[in-house]
Amino acid sequence: MLSMLRQFRAVGLLGMNRRNGDYIMRCNPRARYPLVDNKVLTKRLAEQHGVPTPTLYHVIEHHGDIAGMNAALGDRKRFVVKPARGTGGSGIVLITDRSADGFVNQNGDRISSVDLAYHISDILSGIHSLSGLEDSAILEALIYPDPVFSSVSYEGVPDIRIIVYRGVPVMGMVRLPTSMSDGKANLHRGAIGAGIDIASGKTLSAVCRSEVVAVHPDTGHRVAGIQVPQWEQVLRIAATALDMTGLGYLGVDMVIDRERGPLLLELNARPGLAIQIANRVGLRLRLDTVDAESADAFATPDRRIAWARERFGTKPEAAP
Amino acid sequence: MKRTVAVIVTLLILCPLALISYRVLILGYPLFPAAPQKVWQLSFDARVGGETVSGSLEAGLPSIHQGLAVLGETIGDGSLEFTLRSDGSNRIAAWSGRPDPDGTLITYRSTFRIPAGRSAPPPGASAYPSGVTEDLQRSAETIVADILRLPPAERLAVLATRISHAAQDRDPIVQNLIRTLGGETAFLTLLHAAALPSFAVEGLSLSEGSYGNTIRWIEVWTGSSWLRLAPETGAFYQQSALLLPLTHGNVPAIQSHGFDVTDIRWTLSRQVVSQWGLQYDRIGKSNRLLDQWSLFRLPQEFQGTFRILILVPLGALMICILRNIIGFPTFGIFMPVLMALAFRNTGLLYGIGIFATVLLVGFAARNSLEKLRLLLVPRLSVMVTLVIICFTVFALIGNRLDLRAFMAIGLLPFVILTMAIERFFVITEEEGVKEALRTAAGSAAVASLTYAIVQFEPLQLTFFVYPELLLMVMALQLLIGRYTGYRLSEFLRFRSLRRTRA
Repeated sequence: MLSMLRQFRAVGLLGMNRRNGDYIMRCNPRARYPLVDNKVLTKRLAEQHGVPTPTLYHVIEHHGDIAGMNAALGDRKRFVVKPARGTGGSGIVLITDRSADGFVNQNGDRISSVDLAYHISDILSGIHSLSGLEDSAILEALIYPDPVFSSVSYEGVPDIRIIVYRGVPVMGMVRLPTSMSDGKANLHRGAIGAGIDIASGKTLSAVCRSEVVAVHPDTGHRVAGIQVPQWEQVLRIAATALDMTGLGYLGVDMVIDRERGPLLLELNARPGLAIQIANRVGLRLRLDTVDAESADAFATPDRRIAWARERFGTKPEAAP
Repeated sequence: MKRTVAVIVTLLILCPLALISYRVLILGYPLFPAAPQKVWQLSFDARVGGETVSGSLEAGLPSIHQGLAVLGETIGDGSLEFTLRSDGSNRIAAWSGRPDPDGTLITYRSTFRIPAGRSAPPPGASAYPSGVTEDLQRSAETIVADILRLPPAERLAVLATRISHAAQDRDPIVQNLIRTLGGETAFLTLLHAAALPSFAVEGLSLSEGSYGNTIRWIEVWTGSSWLRLAPETGAFYQQSALLLPLTHGNVPAIQSHGFDVTDIRWTLSRQVVSQWGLQYDRIGKSNRLLDQWSLFRLPQEFQGTFRILILVPLGALMICILRNIIGFPTFGIFMPVLMALAFRNTGLLYGIGIFATVLLVGFAARNSLEKLRLLLVPRLSVMVTLVIICFTVFALIGNRLDLRAFMAIGLLPFVILTMAIERFFVITEEEGVKEALRTAAGSAAVASLTYAIVQFEPLQLTFFVYPELLLMVMALQLLIGRYTGYRLSEFLRFRSLRRTRA
């Protein structure tokens, strides 16, 4: 046990207690949580700071507004319905086409207009928000993921998570859906997490349910060594999150759209710790490195990105 | 931040410590109120009867004047009339009236505790014993004339020696006095002549057994302490010898007016009494401020609630430890504590069984409800109704099978169960069945542990006597609140990090 403790200290593993006590509580003022917990607010902030997000079509706030949905959608055939305060991807419906009596979802199943209205009504009642509070429903553009990760994903949309401390991107990973995770980019459910080298934007080793894996279990392709497209832009979105929210310890979730490039999906004021397993390195050493630097190195997003790329490069490990 | 917490924690530990020290050192509270404490029980039985028309029997009783804590008394008087009166420092019970032809049995039982420090008896008589003539007083003064300049303790030693010599026929002058007055009165006369406050006591030697007769001794004040001597031999009792006084002065321990008294018997035994009763009696009789504000002053019907309530923070502390230091998964934060409280009615095994059954039934129902897509509040209402139906069915089954635990579910747990079902379902959906079962098992384990703590009587008693301990519990909770080290479960979760870098 003691030797384990020493090894954890050596790799700089950040534990749950220290994350909560020393980083989240110190860096994230409670008053700003609504900015990240409500995706509508996050989107508006992003717009003000020039950060691209999936195009917002419409927000439904009251049950009475559901009827006006069709007018707002116009003749758009492809869109996403999601709860503004949803967590863990619950309540999200992807619509890929219209049919005679309504819509078609990504699996090709027909959804009648009545059913969709019912689903939106559920969202508004707060069924998908964990606190059970009244919620609003977002209609936004469907994402077409960049094909760069298609060889190592099973259905779904891979997303990129960057941990940003005081505006500095300190660690990143890409979450790749598997059949085990039911096509969802959710590590809990068995998606793959692959670390990303902050300096180059290339994927490193990958883990699936705490086990190191070299290839994607469904596609059999190697996970490591894939270059994330527009890496500089990914880092810029991440670094701007501080200016958007004033939150000092954030998880920034992005997707790479085929046409629009990196888009901000959502922000998380309590990002998980599994990213350390995916990168096979602890967060603390990097957080301490940030704290050791004088504050004027972090004046602008560009300086923070340059600073981080200089220090947080990881040499890819030899292929097993 | 850390320093502020440290200061608060120190205060929260020091304040109760000071309060407890004050209670223990000044107010004489037991340091471990739950440590087994023995008390004495005295039984006095006698049979009165005879040809007499009517009469009375008087008996001296142990009293608080003698430094005892009398915890309870019962009296059996047969057909006689019973009265209790105070006579100076004596408590005298009197049974009077006409006894049954074949004799009436009278009984008296008392439970009392000897405090750790023997308190001083009341001051002795300041006059010569009655019936001592002036001549005899003069001769006693002559006997002690040459020792009056000695300090009191030495005066007493000289007198004790002379009494013991007289008992061995070696001191004709004192023997003469004894012949006239009797040993005890002669001794008391000499002590008074020598300016040593003293009085005679009748009582029992305090050791387990049955006694037909009392013993008499003399207590003498030497200016710093009371010493006890045997009147006939002048021998000192050891300071540690335990004697139970029944009457002081020349009041006899048993006095009959017109009764034939037979079968007089005093029985002394040591007993363990309920700790709660002991504390209750002690605090209930005190008028100290802290005792006035003790939880023991609450009406009895509310005390039971507080016995349990006061341990709930300890359960919460446990959950802090389990979650933040060990990393145990539980449903919600305080659900296990509430479960533990519910188990008090049903017992642990039945409690867990009932919870598990209702959880499973509820989970199955919740799964089907999901397809109906009900709104949040109505959905939870349906679940509450279902839980109540389950309880009702349990109660009816319990009634048929004569299982009280099935009926004793109580009011509290239906909310907990409804929320537990909801959490169980959400975890199943979001993290899988395995995680949900792990959490359920974790909750049950924590609830059992909390149940054991809340039901642990010595702990209940300690916290009830010293409620300030809650501040210490709060201090520990604050400390855990600032614990930023690893959780034990993280050793497992991040074990792959260790392998790569080892």
